[in-house]
Amino acid sequence: MAQFDFSHPARQSPKGIIIIFALNTYKFVARFFVLFLALGLSLSKNESFSFLNTTNIILMLLGIFIVILGFAILKYLNFKFYLDKDEFHLATGVFNKDTTILPKSKIQNVYIKQNFIQQIINVVSLTIETAGDDKAEIEINALDRATALQLKAQLFTNAQLENSDVPAETPQQTIFFKASVQRLLLEGISQNHVRSFLIIISFVLGLFNEFEKYVEDYQIADRVKSTINLQSGSFFNVLLANLFLVMLAVLVSMLFSIIKTFIANYNLEVVENKDTIEINKGLFNKLSLILTPIRIQNLVIKTNRLKSFFGLHTLSIKQAMINKKQQKHFKIVALDKPQLAHLIEKIFSQYPGVGEFHKPDAYYKRVLILRAAVIGVLLNIPAFFIIGDYFWLINIGILAWIVLFVHFTYNKASFQITDEYLTVTSGFIDRVRQINQLHKIQSVALKQSFFQKQRQIASLHIATASHTVKIPYITEKNAKSIYDYLLFKIESQDRNWM
Amino acid sequence: MFTNQQINLDALPTIDDLNYKPVSKQYLKIIIINRSAIYLIIMAALWIAKLKVMDHTFQNLFWYIFAVVIFIAIVNLMFCIMAFKTRKYAIREQDVIYTKGLLVNSIAAVPISRIQHLEISRTWLARKLNLATLNIFTAGESGIDLSIEGLDHSEAKKINDYLSERVNGTI
Repeated sequence: MAQFDFSHPARQSPKGIIIIFALNTYKFVARFFVLFLALGLSLSKNESFSFLNTTNIILMLLGIFIVILGFAILKYLNFKFYLDKDEFHLATGVFNKDTTILPKSKIQNVYIKQNFIQQIINVVSLTIETAGDDKAEIEINALDRATALQLKAQLFTNAQLENSDVPAETPQQTIFFKASVQRLLLEGISQNHVRSFLIIISFVLGLFNEFEKYVEDYQIADRVKSTINLQSGSFFNVLLANLFLVMLAVLVSMLFSIIKTFIANYNLEVVENKDTIEINKGLFNKLSLILTPIRIQNLVIKTNRLKSFFGLHTLSIKQAMINKKQQKHFKIVALDKPQLAHLIEKIFSQYPGVGEFHKPDAYYKRVLILRAAVIGVLLNIPAFFIIGDYFWLINIGILAWIVLFVHFTYNKASFQITDEYLTVTSGFIDRVRQINQLHKIQSVALKQSFFQKQRQIASLHIATASHTVKIPYITEKNAKSIYDYLLFKIESQDRNWM
Repeated sequence: MFTNQQINLDALPTIDDLNYKPVSKQYLKIIIINRSAIYLIIMAALWIAKLKVMDHTFQNLFWYIFAVVIFIAIVNLMFCIMAFKTRKYAIREQDVIYTKGLLVNSIAAVPISRIQHLEISRTWLARKLNLATLNIFTAGESGIDLSIEGLDHSEAKKINDYLSERVNGTI
């Protein structure tokens, strides 16, 4: 493989023009789509736009595309980057010139993505992130894979490289985990289908709103009604039709979940390097990201009864200041228990895993009951308007829900504090375990309401750079001693949080 | 030399025996002025509505609504005054602690080694009363940053200088 020299300002691959062009076209269309639609509609009705014949429209569109293309070329020409001993430099901008300098030591993660177009023309994009901002600092749209891999490797070799005369040895890589099709299928089936269902419903409603006029014009609703013919059907037919609808909704939601899981996690593999972990996944959007354990702020492990029966665990890796959209990429699904334990051990060495867990005070149950009851009472209002006189019947269901909710949520709530780690478990249906390293904690707060003070109960809110965990409702004495202990742990050791 | 002695948990410094320092009494004025301004605006809006809206039910209910607003305003102000005494702070060798709240009391601590940067902000009213707010920023979510409101300006500057020096590692 030819060595690339990154020490001189270089442009990305010329194919980048295509990527920038496609990206800008997509942005343009997405932004003005509604406008186009409105224009199209008024055109079909209004005669005053008659000068807009087909040729003119095509010419206009052509003009717009040429402008976008020209801009893409200029953008490509003005995009230069190079790497010196310990900094990455990037110059961008057509009219407003921007120069970004990024110290290698501050890089939080580097990842390589490949979307559909990039797969066709065989280039990848490389993103470099620091903790400074919640949007990606640097994105290089088009590099060929070999160059990108080398750049990535050079970004991660620190300044120590200069005095090491060791020939670039092949770093030992072991593919530690590969999700099989079967496991992904199971993962898809055990997803939260309610969420999928809501996504589909909102999508359909959105479409319906857009095209309500057409639906009315063509009287689709009437036709549908006449084919199903509900009015003349017997009670049994109505029941059957409803059952059919429910079955259809469940099936579609399930299919949607499975497809979603497959697209996002196709070919998921976790590669173990000497001190980093690499995640590769994706079908249309191929993604490869590298994680360094010291940058990881905390881990969240999710499973539920069904998933743990299949041996499926999801590990989310949280870092400082990553935006929500990126965050979902840092997720490894369909891990079985030994693999999970191994991965945690790799990221957080000497994590005990087992040991004594403490429960929140029984006061927590009371708070949960109160919370659930408020929602339950509020649900009666819409029920009254929908069902009518027999609305109070839903309270039987609500009561059952409250009992289950309080029981399961309280059972799943626990916490453990060891020498190095704080673990908090929670969840209602999902079993969520959050693991934090004590020396990465940013601040601690003790909260106590007026009523809790009477009963000597308090909660602790513990913040890391990635999110805040809560130890709910423990006795005030315990809370204070944990508070003191955590502060002692943070302050007595001179360890960096990243 | 590496040592790893067991820690006696009871001997750790505890937040129970801290001497908190209250914020400036002047700050109560700002709280009262701010709150009163909000309620006065609401009342003024109601009064204008009374003059403009000719709806019968509204005219009938007007005095009830007005009374409710006044009642809420008085209760809210009373709570503010009572809760004012709970606004206290303490600076230890290794951390800054700020406590406030009567209905929901919180004691928040930020270790000095985790401070990212500091900021003193002063509103127009605070400048008139020679007060300042000290904002202490840590990494991560914005919700966990500490801001100590209603310090004397000189006091805020003193704390700010001390903490900055500590953060920059000169002490």
